[in-house]
Amino acid sequence: MSDVLSVALSRLSRVDGVRGALIVDAQAGVPVVSELADGVAEPAVAALAASLFRRTAKAAGAAAFGGLETLQLEAEAGHVVMAGAGELVVVVVAEADAQLGLIRLEAQRAAGSLA
Amino acid sequence: MSNPTAGEIQRWSEELARDPASPAFLPLAKAYRRQGHWEAALRLCLRGLERHPSNVEAHALLARLYLESGELEKACDEWGIMLRLEGDNFEAHRGMGFFYLEHGDFEAARAHLDRSAAQRPDDPAVREALALLRERQSLAGGTRTGSAAALAPPPASGATPAPAAPGAVDPARVFEPLLAEAPFRGALIVDGRGLVLAGTLAVGGSDPGAPLGASAEAMGAILGGAIEEAQRTAENLALGAWRGMLMETQQATVHLAPLHEDMIVLLAARRDTPAGWVLRTAARAAALADGFLGGKT
Repeated sequence: MSDVLSVALSRLSRVDGVRGALIVDAQAGVPVVSELADGVAEPAVAALAASLFRRTAKAAGAAAFGGLETLQLEAEAGHVVMAGAGELVVVVVAEADAQLGLIRLEAQRAAGSLA
Repeated sequence: MSNPTAGEIQRWSEELARDPASPAFLPLAKAYRRQGHWEAALRLCLRGLERHPSNVEAHALLARLYLESGELEKACDEWGIMLRLEGDNFEAHRGMGFFYLEHGDFEAARAHLDRSAAQRPDDPAVREALALLRERQSLAGGTRTGSAAALAPPPASGATPAPAAPGAVDPARVFEPLLAEAPFRGALIVDGRGLVLAGTLAVGGSDPGAPLGASAEAMGAILGGAIEEAQRTAENLALGAWRGMLMETQQATVHLAPLHEDMIVLLAARRDTPAGWVLRTAARAAALADGFLGGKT
């Protein structure tokens, strides 16, 4: 399983504009594997991303919109793209001018290979 | 409730395995909690609520689980949802009373505890909390009015937004110009406490212009708490201020964007809608929300 995770992460990290990626346990909010730049508080990012994903998934359920597949956070200096993979969440951190369409596609593909 | 037997637990587990939408998740989660299996109880409860978002008893159990793990803010979220679903819920008022007492907002604590005491004057926890409140108020030399707005009684289940003042835009019609767009499923203005201030939302197959139901209120309540998490996530990654969130679910695409202060505007569209349409229409929704709120953005 760890090979599958590493391959998925490595493929994501090679996409233009991706600053880093990690795979997080959605319930525990802890990183399972990661490739993030030095200086990034990996445990905090994993915990916050998982919490945000869980909360929005719960909100989608409350509105009968079905399961949450992807979540994209837009910020001034970049984006965070998350894709659900069962108990795991694929989290990708990207530059502001990154090819988001491609990154979303790769994140979904990675999630599909993990689910 | 007496302790469930091993046979009952097995029966509920089997029922849930056969039918994940079964309401058996609730007695099973309660049983796990009583046995000290907190994580399992929490997981069951969260999954159950995805299918039964209006189940007040499940929200109450989730609030207790959060409370027992020291996550008071999350427990407070659940009590807030309970009050939107059932405006007079004793347990939710009592919980909110404790929450505000802990946070030193005595006026809000008083309002919630009084509503609890009106229903169960002999409840020892409420009596103790009221005594503690009197003591703290006398020490503080009076009441605080920190978040008096929080005292407003929550709307009852299925309530529409508050009626408009004369001459003002009706809160339920703020996003009416977007109704003609085929992918549009609704839009809401939600404040940081999760209260829906305006808008409509089509839940399931309902009409996008129909009055709000409990599910839309619950969605607003849950997403209200997402603002801080979105900001903290962006800050931890040195990405600056958050500008929006795009959620793609099995049946909808939902965009959230910050307005002024701690408010957000939510736009929901059909799942197969191109992201470009969603982003452009989200900008229109933000402009309409801004107009409704008085152009403070």
